[in-house]
Amino acid sequence: MTIDWWTLGLQTVNAVVLVWILARFLFRPVSRILAERQAAAHAALDEAEAAREEARAARDTAQRETAAIAAERAARIARAQDEAAQEKRRLLDEARAAAEKARAEGMDDLARLRATQERDLSVEAGALATDIAAKLLARLPDEARIAGFIDGLAEAVAKLPETTRAGIAGGGPVTLRSARALSAEEQAQIAQRLGAVLGTPPALSVETDATLLAGLELETPHAIVRNHFRADLDRIRAEIADHE
Amino acid sequence: MDNPLSLEPLFHLGPVPITAPVVVTWAIMLALGLFAALATRRLSLTPGKLQTVLELLVTTVDSQIRDTMQRDPAPFRALIGSIFLFVLIANWSALIPGIEPPTAHLETDAALALVVLAATIAYGIAGRGLGGYLATFAEPSWVMIPLNVVEQITRTFSLIVRLFGNVMSGVFVVGIVLSLAGLFVPIPLMALDLLTGAVQAYIFAVLATVFIGAAVGESHGPAGQDQKDLPR
Repeated sequence: MTIDWWTLGLQTVNAVVLVWILARFLFRPVSRILAERQAAAHAALDEAEAAREEARAARDTAQRETAAIAAERAARIARAQDEAAQEKRRLLDEARAAAEKARAEGMDDLARLRATQERDLSVEAGALATDIAAKLLARLPDEARIAGFIDGLAEAVAKLPETTRAGIAGGGPVTLRSARALSAEEQAQIAQRLGAVLGTPPALSVETDATLLAGLELETPHAIVRNHFRADLDRIRAEIADHE
Repeated sequence: MDNPLSLEPLFHLGPVPITAPVVVTWAIMLALGLFAALATRRLSLTPGKLQTVLELLVTTVDSQIRDTMQRDPAPFRALIGSIFLFVLIANWSALIPGIEPPTAHLETDAALALVVLAATIAYGIAGRGLGGYLATFAEPSWVMIPLNVVEQITRTFSLIVRLFGNVMSGVFVVGIVLSLAGLFVPIPLMALDLLTGAVQAYIFAVLATVFIGAAVGESHGPAGQDQKDLPR
């Protein structure tokens, strides 16, 4: 067995050249495209990861915003409920105050109406009492409508202070009102009775006032002395009103 | 009768005799080169069928190198892949009538083994440095230096003889059966030669990978991360 050294050498060179050819035209291009695809896949993965991170961040942001909106909504609802409750309380207070005011006004009106009615009743009662008294007095003799009141007038004058009585006695004529026209005898009797109390008979200016019903009224610059039914009725009515 | 293992020159290029294995090798180189140039002319990120096949070939070679060496396969891809492809095509060239595979001749196998030996030494020196590579001959002890040197030679011879014996025997068997039995009788044996040729190509490439891997040493990093800047 012999070795063909030329063939061995040529085949060695051929092997080296073939390695270079395949490296140049097959393995490097294919490995390069593999590396490029791998890099593209990595880039796509990185991009997808970045997109996922971005989506996650967007989702977190949306969740935070949703939570903030929910919190804001809850706060606004609470605020609105508070405001509604305050408004309700305010309206109720106002309604209550208005009702109270209306009630008070009603009570005032009622009180005024009652007072008016009472006054009217009092006036009617006074008128009725006057009528009753007048009708009763009509059954008495006319002398009784004056004579029965002369002593009372004198006693009332006597109870006046000394200075007042002195003023009456020493002053000008005093007005004497009577329920009816006085006779001269009655005027003399009254002057005589007042003179007994005052010391000197006063000068009398007699006037007739039917509203007195019965009795006399002496009017001086310093005092009025009443002794007649009208004054009594007025006093009684005032006492009744005070009593009520 | 002529020695069937002897080579007769087909023609001469000056003083250089050109034999049949050289011509067949040139034809294989031309076919592979043209195919590679045409196939890789329009590579894209969305591969077609042919590109997918090429990528499968490259990734398979890479995977084999990575599994064997535990290293980045890029510096060794072209050498191992080219040896595998050439041996495979050369072995299968026996299917073409009148063509005798170049690997059925000792010179071609010896040339491939010499390339592997040279690559082993070159990668070893590149990976470890000259001193480091020579120091591997004294492992585990300086006593082992003669044995390690002999091992370098014998395993190169084993590469040569294994490939030569398998391919040559297949060719001889087919030729003998063809001369004795008839035209179609050797077909099963030729089919067996297809399998034998593929297996021998794989074995040659894997052994080359193992020898180079042993020369460059173990990687201290993960596969795909080269520790030293090896030539690519």
